Amino acid sequence: MEKNKTSEDSIKILNRRSFIIIIFGAILSLLVSLRLFSLQVINFNFYKKKSVENKLSIKLTPPLRGDIYDSKKNLLAGSSSLYEFVVFKNLSKDHLYEIKTLDSLIKLKLNLGEISKKLKKYNEYSGFSLSRASWEQIVEFEKNKFLFNSIKIIESKKRYYPYQNFSQIIGYMGQPTQSSELYSKGVFHLERSYEKHLRGTPGKIFSEVNAKGKTIREISIEKSIKGNDLDLTLDLTLQNYAQSQLPLDKKGSIVVISVSDGSILSMNSNPTFDAQIFEDRENTKIKDLLNDDQKPLFNRAFSGFYPPGSVFKPISALVGLQKNLIDSKNEVFCKGHSSLGDRNYYCWKKEGHGKVNLKKAIKESCDVYFYELAKKINIDDIASLSSNLGLNKEYDIGLSNIGKGLVPSKKWKKAFLDESWYQGETLITCIGQGYNQTSPLQLATLYSAILNGGKYPIPKLDKNTPTRFTGKLLNNEHKKIIVNSLNAVVQEPRGTAYKLSIANPEFVKIGGKTGTSQVIRIKESEREDDIYKSKEIEERFKDHSVFVGYAPYDKPKYIASVIIENGGSGSVVAAPIAHKVLNFADKNNV
Amino acid sequence: MFKEFKSIYNLNWIYVFILLIIFWIGEINLYSAAGGSLDPWASNQLTRFLFFLPLFFLVIMLEPKFIFNFAEIFLILVLIGLIATLIFGYTGMGATRWIRIAGFNLQVSEFTKIALVISMAKYFHKLNAEKTIGLFKSILPLVVSIIFFILVAIQPDLGTAVIILALGLVVIFYAGIKLIYPLLSLGVILSISPILWTFLKPYQQNRIQIFLNPDLDPLGKGYHIIQSKIAIGSGGLQGNGFLEGSQSSLDFLPEKETDFVFAIFSEQFGFIGSILLISLFFIMFLIPVLKTYKLTQVFSKIILFVLSFKIFFEFLINISMTIGILPVVGVALPFMSYGGSSLLSNLIICALLLNFMSINENKRMFS
Repeated sequence: MEKNKTSEDSIKILNRRSFIIIIFGAILSLLVSLRLFSLQVINFNFYKKKSVENKLSIKLTPPLRGDIYDSKKNLLAGSSSLYEFVVFKNLSKDHLYEIKTLDSLIKLKLNLGEISKKLKKYNEYSGFSLSRASWEQIVEFEKNKFLFNSIKIIESKKRYYPYQNFSQIIGYMGQPTQSSELYSKGVFHLERSYEKHLRGTPGKIFSEVNAKGKTIREISIEKSIKGNDLDLTLDLTLQNYAQSQLPLDKKGSIVVISVSDGSILSMNSNPTFDAQIFEDRENTKIKDLLNDDQKPLFNRAFSGFYPPGSVFKPISALVGLQKNLIDSKNEVFCKGHSSLGDRNYYCWKKEGHGKVNLKKAIKESCDVYFYELAKKINIDDIASLSSNLGLNKEYDIGLSNIGKGLVPSKKWKKAFLDESWYQGETLITCIGQGYNQTSPLQLATLYSAILNGGKYPIPKLDKNTPTRFTGKLLNNEHKKIIVNSLNAVVQEPRGTAYKLSIANPEFVKIGGKTGTSQVIRIKESEREDDIYKSKEIEERFKDHSVFVGYAPYDKPKYIASVIIENGGSGSVVAAPIAHKVLNFADKNNV
Repeated sequence: MFKEFKSIYNLNWIYVFILLIIFWIGEINLYSAAGGSLDPWASNQLTRFLFFLPLFFLVIMLEPKFIFNFAEIFLILVLIGLIATLIFGYTGMGATRWIRIAGFNLQVSEFTKIALVISMAKYFHKLNAEKTIGLFKSILPLVVSIIFFILVAIQPDLGTAVIILALGLVVIFYAGIKLIYPLLSLGVILSISPILWTFLKPYQQNRIQIFLNPDLDPLGKGYHIIQSKIAIGSGGLQGNGFLEGSQSSLDFLPEKETDFVFAIFSEQFGFIGSILLISLFFIMFLIPVLKTYKLTQVFSKIILFVLSFKIFFEFLINISMTIGILPVVGVALPFMSYGGSSLLSNLIICALLLNFMSINENKRMFS
């Protein structure tokens, strides 16, 4: 039972309870103070930083991208204006309705569902880009401008490529792939490899914003800095001329380089494409391009690898000279074939060349001479000299998908095919067939190496990179013998390309070597044969036509390397094209 | 009904002075919350204050005996008011908390706190006279408190409802209930809290979850707490200075003029300013409490102690909300949050405190 208390007792209880509650209140106050101390003193820097992040907005303004020029300052890639429909949420509550109206009025084919989803999360003071605006669309929009309060036409910059013949070297731009990238970037070839050089520095607008993202005031502005320009070694006129010389119905490539410094003067591949469609976001054209089985994106000059054919023979000759297996005088009798073991290896000339020395072997492209030489050659010497002269390596000149190619060696075969080397394969390799894989650019470089006497300039595309030489010097006598023979190919009767001198005597005089790159092996005996030339063979099984030449022959300045896929014999298709291009380069002094 | 006018000389002027200082700080704070403008809050609040002053003095001059006699009437009035609010009240922000009386939007729940404390004070005063205080007799005030708690909680206004219940419990505790009972009930409440959880509205559950982890919803319901902590934390030791609070002036802080008004203050005046403000409220709490030790009448002791505690308690609850140690339940900061009902009820409380601090007791005063 509750005990009775006096009034005074009860007052004492109240006073005691009062004390407990005061202590309780004091403890609460202490807790609150400690929490405040933690927020405001211990973690001050953390919250200060957060508060600055809260209110500071940095808006980046895209810089102008550097221009790309040819060696004579003709513009190959620049910036031009681009117009876009941009919606600003804060300008009208009915912006979604206005977008719908715009879509039906101008037929932009917008994905309205996705746009409204994205817009929901979008800052109301930043413009949201709906679509590009073509000139006709802008006119239509201006006529109905009164309908749109929240939509504006905003100008920005896009990449502009005046000549589509350069697309396969310059490449193109693509959309940002990471959220940290704010604007488009180069994704192919030079646009990609020179991204840092061309990109420039974005401008920054620092401003104080409120909680809704509205700019209260601009604090400071850093102007954007235009990217660096890029000067190429290419020559606009030569590039365009060479492209016009490639047969439209054939795949092929022409590379022209300078003998003195390795500058790539032109580098064409057919078919080609127009990089502008990526900038203009012409999606159907892009889709067609990507699905084209002719592979126009593929630049055959440096990504296309083929057996070089007889163009390779100077390497075999040089190895023979270096190892004293042959000299300029010793002769071989060509009766149309040579045998090793139980197998016969045929010369392209069935009836044979008769007595053949080194010069005649190159001039008339006698295979038997090289078979006989090859029987004594160690394949590894071929591989190592090839590497010294620019084959079997990748050039770091900023191009995407540039390949390395292959000149086989014993070690390579063991590693990749797990088989040992047969001397018969050396015979095939020495005439440029078999495992040999070279690109037109590599063949041009090989001839530059020979003409330069072994120490040759590394190919370059960027005009401002210094010329760098590489490779080991050749014996000068050896070089003279080879170059002499190469001159004879065009300049002397019975040379495989002598027809050039007769057909166009007014053209610059050139030297060079024809080649026929085999697509299928069974026609080995028929290469460069007149019978073969007239034969009706299914197009895709026809041999590739190859020619590497230089001009002028007595004082070489230019080298042209030509391949026409399934073109047939080198002397018939590739050589005349090379001659015209070399003549053009020489006459115009590119 | 009224005291003699000369009793005004006995007023505790120190208390009046502190009250004015706190109100003045509140005014400055509302001025800075509006980005250095009297409009819209500071001037409105000042007008209200001046408008309420006559009532303030009227309450000071009331005979305590009158208040004692009419205690139950007050309670019945607020009961009617609360029920009327539920039926006729108008709805804002998802809750029906206000009722329109004579052109004013009144939040009856604010006055419930006063009426409940007064009538419970009378109840315990009478019990004490009968000298039979015990558990059974404590049940009636508890039930009444719970009824008012429910009436306010279903508006829904959990913050005010919890304060009402807490005040009821404080009165019962202060009045001398045996310690075993509060401890026992605490144990029971803790053990049934999972069941209580299911009675909360989803938004209330949400608030508590987000209180426990604001990062669950940084742009939604956790936004208040996160932004409030950023504003307070960035104030640092000394504060950014008057009108230099960037978070508040740039609108990062929602409800900055009402529940989160402390964040505005603390961003500008820092840790030092905050501690000074806490001290000021603590002193304001202690002045009437010290007076209770000199009094012998249970009625006046309870009124002085519990009503003074009410102001300080709401102050602490509000700050704890803004610094993230209590969930955001919507308790105003006395004299600093913008709002008429809270200002009026707190002024009435202060008037009552001043009134009871100035009385000369005699034993037969309340009988």
